[in-house]
Amino acid sequence: MSDTEKKVKKITTMKNGFVVIPFKLPSVKVLPSKHISYHYIYVKKHDSGNNNEQNCIFVMNLPLLTNVENIKNITGQICEKYDTVSHVEDLLYNDEFGLNEVDLSALTSDLMTDNQDMTEKRFTPRNTCLLKFVDKSSLNNCLNALKKYSTCSKNDIIEWKYNSPSIETFINFYKPINLEYLKEDVHSHLAIFEQREQQAQDDVQSSIVDEDGFTLVVGKNTKNLNSIRKKILNKNPLLKNESSGIKKPSTALDKKAKKDFYRFQVRERKKQEINQLLNKFKEDQERIKIMKEKRKFNPYKNSL
Amino acid sequence: MTPTKRDISQVEGSQENKISTPKKTFRERRQEANEKENESGSDISDEEDEEEHTTHTSKKLSGSTAAYDIHVARETAELFQSNIFKLQIDELLEQVKLNDKHVLKVEKFLHKLYDLIQQVPDWEDKNLSDTLSYFKGKSVAIPFVDPKPAVSNTNYKFNYKAPEVSLIGSFALKTGIYQPQGSSIDVLLTMPKELFEKKDFLNLRCLHKRSVYLAYFTSHLSNLLVQEKIDEFLIVEYSYLHDNPLLPILTLKCQSNDEAEHELNFHKTKFSINLIIGFPYKIFEAKKLLPNKNCIRIAKEDNETPLPATSLYNYSILSSTAYEPYLKYLYKCKKQTEAFREASILGRLWLQQRGFSSKISQSGGLGGFGTFEFTTLMTVLLNGGGENGNKILLHGFSSYQLFKGVIKYLATMDLCTDGHLQFHSDITYTDAVSKYVQEGFQTPTIFDKSTKINILSKLSVSNYNLLKFYAKETLSMLNDVVQDHFAHIFLMNISRSDQLKYDLCYDFKFPMNGSIEADLVSKFTATERIKYITIENFVVHKVISVMKYALNERIINLEVQLVGHRSTFAINKRKPNVALTPGSQFNFDHIRVKLIVNQDEAEKLITKGPVHSEPTSHAAVLFKSFWGPKSSLRRFKDGSINHCCLWNTSSSEPVISSIVPFVIKRHISENINIENNVTKQFQELLPLPNLAASSKTSVLNMTSFFNLKKSFDNLYKIIFRMKLPLSAKSILPVDTSFRYTSLCQPVPFAYSNPKIFQNVILEFETSQKWPDEITSLEKAKTAFLLKINEQLEAEHGTQYHSFFSRDESIPFNLDVTTLNVLTPDGYGFKFRILTERDEVLYLRAISNARKEATPALENTFLQFTSTYLASIRHTRTIENISHSYQFYSPVVRLFKKWLDCHLLLGHLKDELVELIAMKPFTDHYPYSTPGSVENGFLKILKFIAQWNWKDEPLILDLVKPDAAYEDQMEVSIGGSEINSETMKKLSEKLTLAQYKAIQSNFRNLRKDDPNGIHLQFFVASRNDPSGILYSSNIPLAIATRLTALAKVAINLIQTHGLNSQTIDLLFAPGLKDYGFVVHLQVPNKLKASSGIITQSEFKNLANADAPLVFPTDLNDLSEKMDPTYQLMKYLNMKYKNTMIFSSHKYIGVNGGEDGNKNVITGLIKPIYKKQMKFKVNMDCNAKPIDSEHVALNKESIYHEIAAFSSDLIVKFDLE
Repeated sequence: MSDTEKKVKKITTMKNGFVVIPFKLPSVKVLPSKHISYHYIYVKKHDSGNNNEQNCIFVMNLPLLTNVENIKNITGQICEKYDTVSHVEDLLYNDEFGLNEVDLSALTSDLMTDNQDMTEKRFTPRNTCLLKFVDKSSLNNCLNALKKYSTCSKNDIIEWKYNSPSIETFINFYKPINLEYLKEDVHSHLAIFEQREQQAQDDVQSSIVDEDGFTLVVGKNTKNLNSIRKKILNKNPLLKNESSGIKKPSTALDKKAKKDFYRFQVRERKKQEINQLLNKFKEDQERIKIMKEKRKFNPYKNSL
Repeated sequence: MTPTKRDISQVEGSQENKISTPKKTFRERRQEANEKENESGSDISDEEDEEEHTTHTSKKLSGSTAAYDIHVARETAELFQSNIFKLQIDELLEQVKLNDKHVLKVEKFLHKLYDLIQQVPDWEDKNLSDTLSYFKGKSVAIPFVDPKPAVSNTNYKFNYKAPEVSLIGSFALKTGIYQPQGSSIDVLLTMPKELFEKKDFLNLRCLHKRSVYLAYFTSHLSNLLVQEKIDEFLIVEYSYLHDNPLLPILTLKCQSNDEAEHELNFHKTKFSINLIIGFPYKIFEAKKLLPNKNCIRIAKEDNETPLPATSLYNYSILSSTAYEPYLKYLYKCKKQTEAFREASILGRLWLQQRGFSSKISQSGGLGGFGTFEFTTLMTVLLNGGGENGNKILLHGFSSYQLFKGVIKYLATMDLCTDGHLQFHSDITYTDAVSKYVQEGFQTPTIFDKSTKINILSKLSVSNYNLLKFYAKETLSMLNDVVQDHFAHIFLMNISRSDQLKYDLCYDFKFPMNGSIEADLVSKFTATERIKYITIENFVVHKVISVMKYALNERIINLEVQLVGHRSTFAINKRKPNVALTPGSQFNFDHIRVKLIVNQDEAEKLITKGPVHSEPTSHAAVLFKSFWGPKSSLRRFKDGSINHCCLWNTSSSEPVISSIVPFVIKRHISENINIENNVTKQFQELLPLPNLAASSKTSVLNMTSFFNLKKSFDNLYKIIFRMKLPLSAKSILPVDTSFRYTSLCQPVPFAYSNPKIFQNVILEFETSQKWPDEITSLEKAKTAFLLKINEQLEAEHGTQYHSFFSRDESIPFNLDVTTLNVLTPDGYGFKFRILTERDEVLYLRAISNARKEATPALENTFLQFTSTYLASIRHTRTIENISHSYQFYSPVVRLFKKWLDCHLLLGHLKDELVELIAMKPFTDHYPYSTPGSVENGFLKILKFIAQWNWKDEPLILDLVKPDAAYEDQMEVSIGGSEINSETMKKLSEKLTLAQYKAIQSNFRNLRKDDPNGIHLQFFVASRNDPSGILYSSNIPLAIATRLTALAKVAINLIQTHGLNSQTIDLLFAPGLKDYGFVVHLQVPNKLKASSGIITQSEFKNLANADAPLVFPTDLNDLSEKMDPTYQLMKYLNMKYKNTMIFSSHKYIGVNGGEDGNKNVITGLIKPIYKKQMKFKVNMDCNAKPIDSEHVALNKESIYHEIAAFSSDLIVKFDLE
């Protein structure tokens, strides 16, 4: 292990520019403590045109249950070590448990999304987040300090302190939701929704009038437009494997038409039947062949 | 003539060519019999030509034109059930063909044997004492049957004159097949007429003559073998033909000798040769040997009552005279019927796979109906069989049609109680037709008017019922047009394991001290002896009749087996060595009784006897004397007073387990030990609910579930009447307790049970006003639930308590809230609302999502569908059909327990588990539906172990069993093929089109995922033709682990049998297989509060922990809920990309003595076990290896887990 540790020690930056920040892990009673374990965070300066994401560091692999306070604390410690100061403002997109990976609401309607600019949807991979600083100097100070820290000797590595949840934390998940809070939440949410819906309807009705004077009342997610509905229904994963050829809607005309009026129809049908029979026979032969290869026909196979 | 084509005349020919001297050949008797030697000869050559011709044509045509194929395809579609069935039959017959080389080899020996037989010198008349002294000091004993003749009163003479030698049996008929344990060849040595007198059939005289004849022959043959130096590899033994102690024969087998193999050594062929000594045909007056005649005269005190019929004895003698006529009878039919050979092979396989044989059923086991009986019945039916002698089968039938015809006849015609079949085996009698006669003899009968033999004499009534039972099962398999049951009918051997074939097995063991022997010997009087011949047969008969009377309706069928019964013995012994256990005088080790249970009757508390009357009726006397002190008088609801026995139910043992020891001890012997620990052990594995008298409640008792339903019905009424903005359309319970499948039975106030809140789906009348956005939709639903909550509190606040909680069942939908209601009866229900808008919104989300997120959203949709939509159908279906499958509930609960023991239940949806567990019930072929907990459970394991999910879908037809299937079944005589009732029944089942559609779904699925990496278990039914609803998202490692565990379990049972150790092992989790194991302990004991007690526990002690009310502050509910579940949930969420975590879901069941222990095990996904490139989106806790590569930082993960579970963890095991 010491070998690998030495090796590990040398790596301070990854090839693609990520700085490796090691932390010592506290010894735990239940785990064998022959050697010290480390946790590694990977950081890199974040460049983005997004206003919201200025002065940010892109951080990968934060330890368990890290929050802004932890981060403030730890950057504080590191900066102090190298005599500099930086101020963390926020931890963005930190979604440790992947709860918000998919925004269902936005996918079903654009009514409730706060960011009306739908083109600019933010997506960060799992296990990553952005650490936002109050200003550019804070960012640079911290980044420099982190770089220095990443090369520091083994003894200077800071020990990480986990936030351990208590039993209470787990048990609290079973507790009832506060009724007043729930009422308030539902009420306010629905109020906003109704207002926005009204607004959207008004917008639509007032705006789109085509040259013939008809008002087009079809929005992107309109409720009852058959073509759209069909398109959506096609997405049903349960029907994915259904052979599409099976159900062909028969029209009234089809039903009425006689199928044995012309001689050729009868002949065709017979031909078809024989072909079907033959195909099935061939198929069956193939199946038997496969089964034979798998030695499926031994009545004495030994099993319970 | 080619040696490969084995036809009778060719063997004849070849023998004639090779053996120049013989006076008579093996074949000759057939030539005599047939009288049309030449004719048949030319027939054969014609056939050959034809066959050759067809094979040629098929070869020629296969490439160029399809006309031949069309012809074949058409023909098979008509003559066979389906093309595939015909092709399968062809392949099967190919598989079991006898090896031609082996046949040649053994024929060579047969020729030699024939020569040797001719060399045995004739003897001269000897009286008994001379005979005995002749054999004194010889290495051969006379295999006298019991009782052996006494010198004092034996006046007749013994002798040996050269026999007539012929081949009989299937080898002669060329209907023999390859069998891994080897096949036997029957050679008949017919004793010459002059050795007998007219009255020799009486009092075992002819049998004794035969025994001496056999011994003399054996002694000379052994000498000749030594002379020829072929004794080294030849094993010569006595044995009883068909286990019948009246029929001693000589068997020859080969063993390999190390040195250069002798050219006559046929041990590789695995054949054995039976030398059967027969009597000349018609030597005795057959009339006097009818089944109802007495032919063993014994002295009796009173001469009033006639001596009992000696049917087995009579049969044994008559059948010894009739080997040849039957061979001729069958041979003639075979010549006329093209598919005879194939059909008889099918019959042979069918019987073998079910354990039937030609052995006499009088000495236990599934004897009485072997290939001979099958072929004879087929021949009889080819010559008639209807009430007017109309033919049931036609000579032009295909093998499939012949086989099915025989099965159908067996299944639908009664040959025992109400009728019998009679025929003429005499082939010279041209007008001979077989007829069904409506007169039953209370014993299975196919009576031969020519020989006066009932060819079913060996078949006991109970075995006949079993045979009929299997024939019925097979007939419905053959009639099933939807599924192909070929493998079930012919390929699966269902008699490999008693536990799978039968529901309950009991071993009757005799103690060492011999007390039972004395008991039984005293009951085995002379009259019994002439009826049953041996004491073993007597015991078997006794056990069967006692069991049948005692269990009556509770069982469908039973088999009694003498374990350790021997029928071969050395030639220096008079009879088989019986002293297996010291003190035992019997030719068996112990008795095993195997039962197929009638689910509907098995657990009834009362054995209802005859009506009480004055004076006491005969039946009542019998009942009273049979049950003794158990019998009592009871008045029933309808006012009638009956003789009854009252039994107690128990959670650990079926009622049958208390009846069996009682009657066996009462009627057989007080000292018998009756063992069946398996059933008890399995039933005790089911969690015992903490309810009044639960240990005295049968596993089939559903009261705990009904109580929950009752409580729900009350709540349902309240909510249904509520005034709400939209009125409730339906309130449907969708959770496990409503379909009787919850691992823990519902126990009031047991709120540590993770299933305390049973899901209920609430639907309102249609409305267009539901928000068209998912969060708002959920909020709107919550608003409705708030309204319900308000009204409930206002009007029923004193009784009902309710609260809201977040629901996480739908991934990414964080706004689902449910209303949880606690009823005054102590149950909980969780209401969620379904609207017509939901489905569209989830689908819209899929279509709007970016490509990477589609799978996640599809999963969300599946979760939604299974929770809200399919759950309704699923619950309804399972609840409905489980009424017809009584043992389904306990079996599925035990299966869930097994899964949870092995930490798998958390990965599998309840619905999936329930569907898999349903398989042995709705799709039970070739077995019967499970009639005990262990039987059902083992069948599930067996199915999983053998399920090749890569290539096979599981398609379930979730329907009730055909209730009155006997009435609806087509009959061989009269009745239309399919009546309207049957059609109606059929319509409830999956149609062929539906079945095909599901199969094609599976094929399409496997096109994209041929190895089942993404989806392993395709489980489809009418409710879910897609087959993927419940089985998506199971990690591959978990699916393979389930299969592996089942395989290990089945192997374990196969090698070590079922006993307390193996059952314990079945339920011991293999924690060593995981990467690491975290042992957890929670502060509160959760077992009692989950509603579970242990049988041994004192109820009042357990109750100290068990809550009797819900806490007034609903916040306190959480105190007794399982925190490890939440921990698991979050660990899974955090590490779902890199690790698979498993833990016990039911801490109250699997969490140790007190229900406060749990484990979390982890497996690292294979791709994270090696180094990988450093990437921004790699999503794992990584440590750097070099500037480009990283590896999973296991230490750090372990630390995180330890930190995460710091309050709960007690031990951390690393691999």
